[in-house]
Amino acid sequence: MASDLARKTEEPQAPRIFRPTTKSPLGPVKIASAVSSVAPLLALLAILGILVHQALPAVKYNGIGFFVHNVWHPGNFYLQPVTTNGVLHPAQADYGAWAIIVGTVLSSLIALVIALPASLGAALVVSKLLGPRVRNTLGIFLELLAGIPSVVFGLWGTLTIGPLLSRDIYPIVAKHMPDVIILRWFRGSTGAGEGLLTSGIILAAMIIPIIASTSRDLFAQVPKLTEEGAEALGMTRMEVTTKVTLPWVSAGIIGATVLGLARALGETMAVAMVSGSVLGTLPTNIYSTFNTIAATIVTTLDSALIDGTGLAVRTLAEAALVLMLVTLLANVGARLLVRKVSTTALPVGRGV
Amino acid sequence: MQDLAPRPVEEFSANPPGSSRTVIKVSDLTVGFGRTTIISGVNLTLMQGSIVALIGPTGSGKTTFLRSLNRMNDKVRGYFAGGGILLDDQEVLSDHVDLLELRRRVGMLFQRPNPFPMSIRDNVLAGVKAHGLAKKSEHDRIVRENLERVGLWNAVSGRLHDSPFRLSGGQQQLLCLARSLAVQPEVLLLDEPTSALDPISVEAVEKLLADLAEEITFIVVTHSLAQARRISDHTMFFFDGHLKESGPTAQIFEDPQQPETQYYVSGRMG
Repeated sequence: MASDLARKTEEPQAPRIFRPTTKSPLGPVKIASAVSSVAPLLALLAILGILVHQALPAVKYNGIGFFVHNVWHPGNFYLQPVTTNGVLHPAQADYGAWAIIVGTVLSSLIALVIALPASLGAALVVSKLLGPRVRNTLGIFLELLAGIPSVVFGLWGTLTIGPLLSRDIYPIVAKHMPDVIILRWFRGSTGAGEGLLTSGIILAAMIIPIIASTSRDLFAQVPKLTEEGAEALGMTRMEVTTKVTLPWVSAGIIGATVLGLARALGETMAVAMVSGSVLGTLPTNIYSTFNTIAATIVTTLDSALIDGTGLAVRTLAEAALVLMLVTLLANVGARLLVRKVSTTALPVGRGV
Repeated sequence: MQDLAPRPVEEFSANPPGSSRTVIKVSDLTVGFGRTTIISGVNLTLMQGSIVALIGPTGSGKTTFLRSLNRMNDKVRGYFAGGGILLDDQEVLSDHVDLLELRRRVGMLFQRPNPFPMSIRDNVLAGVKAHGLAKKSEHDRIVRENLERVGLWNAVSGRLHDSPFRLSGGQQQLLCLARSLAVQPEVLLLDEPTSALDPISVEAVEKLLADLAEEITFIVVTHSLAQARRISDHTMFFFDGHLKESGPTAQIFEDPQQPETQYYVSGRMG
């Protein structure tokens, strides 16, 4: 009873909705989440910083010429090293990355031209035309395909697909292609199966699963009601697909495409095995042997280590920097495209 | 008995003479999926320029019936239909029917607004373009006309090239209605068209239907008995896959003949 009385004499308190925090503002959870949230940024900055630091002497020595000419000459290791622009380098060393930049971009674009329609077609068939059981089975295969190591693709390309194409397909295409703009590129010597087109095809096979499985998930998000609305308006299946389904997810498709493009731009092993690995020459037609930045780095690293002045390795670091730049440009381009597309087609899959 | 009687003469007085022709005649329609029959033995005649409400408990076959009229059920696995649906003396269920043209003539408005991912203007023109109904020079006029018909023109005339997804739900549904009207349908099927809208938008849509009913026959599935009562000339009561009772709306609500109808319209069921 006494306690009852005591309680009544207490000041009436407003009901508390929020309890005051008793924990310190910097608990372990907060620290952990702060660290993990900035970790990716720090990693990116660290990689970029180290790369720039490594590449700096090469940037100084190679100058702007690195981007505009096509020589890849480590210099004469039997002569006395020389110092130019404050950088010690083997005599007569001369590097120009124009050909491998072109090779990187061209092979990836060829891959994209093949992979984008194939992936969208596959994703549409899987998500819109097939029953659930077949759909799931095919989906599993699609994801398995994405997990095949690139060296396997490379081996397949250099042992099977390359020779097959150069023997049975390329000569026929080259012979019958008319001599007009762009198509002219399909004429001429077809080589032994290692080159731009073969690489593009192998790269396409590698990025199709990426674009297709992302697109399939996107198509599944398109509301049935909207597609039915188009059907009920008397649109053909093709019109429903091109006017409603694809635009609905266009932003997401661009994102998926950039994901595939980034993979193709940076793909190393498979391209190194089917490119023909020539340095310092621009491709003359679509069957030409060529090289990419990534493949050049991996195939010339061994010999670059012989360069006692270190310039060869520094130049590879500069090439890597350029590759990052190209990939970054592709991303920025995609973001601009997404922004343009999103003005009327909002709903699904924004952002890259 | 199950045929809809023509509307009483005095109700028709506002309509142009000769408008009381038959638009849709359904005879002994049976529809189902796989081994399940959803609706059977439906007979009815619909006159031009009327608003018909389909009411009945959930699962009674209203929507299945509605979607049979423009053959939207076709791609559903195991779908079958027997009997006949005549649209202006043409058999809708025939294999030789041009589905695209059928759907132009028999339009549809859905439960929730479903604008396409294109500008407001392109939404109105989507069907017109798909059917090649008009020259490019007429597009501006068509957009304006149809947006005016649904009372949306003043609200959107300044942003015809904007996304339709920034409009309110009610405005989006009106846009979908304008899109359906733009292809000049004879019949418009409405599947609970106002169930996702706010009361003011509901009123706007209902008023529009009344205004447009002179030119177009509306068949409206609705769960709102009050709505059926407000807007329809005729009411059809579906129960357990059968058209239990149909007739002038007033009669169905005031003097239902069947015990199930009585139960349902008095709010004791469904």
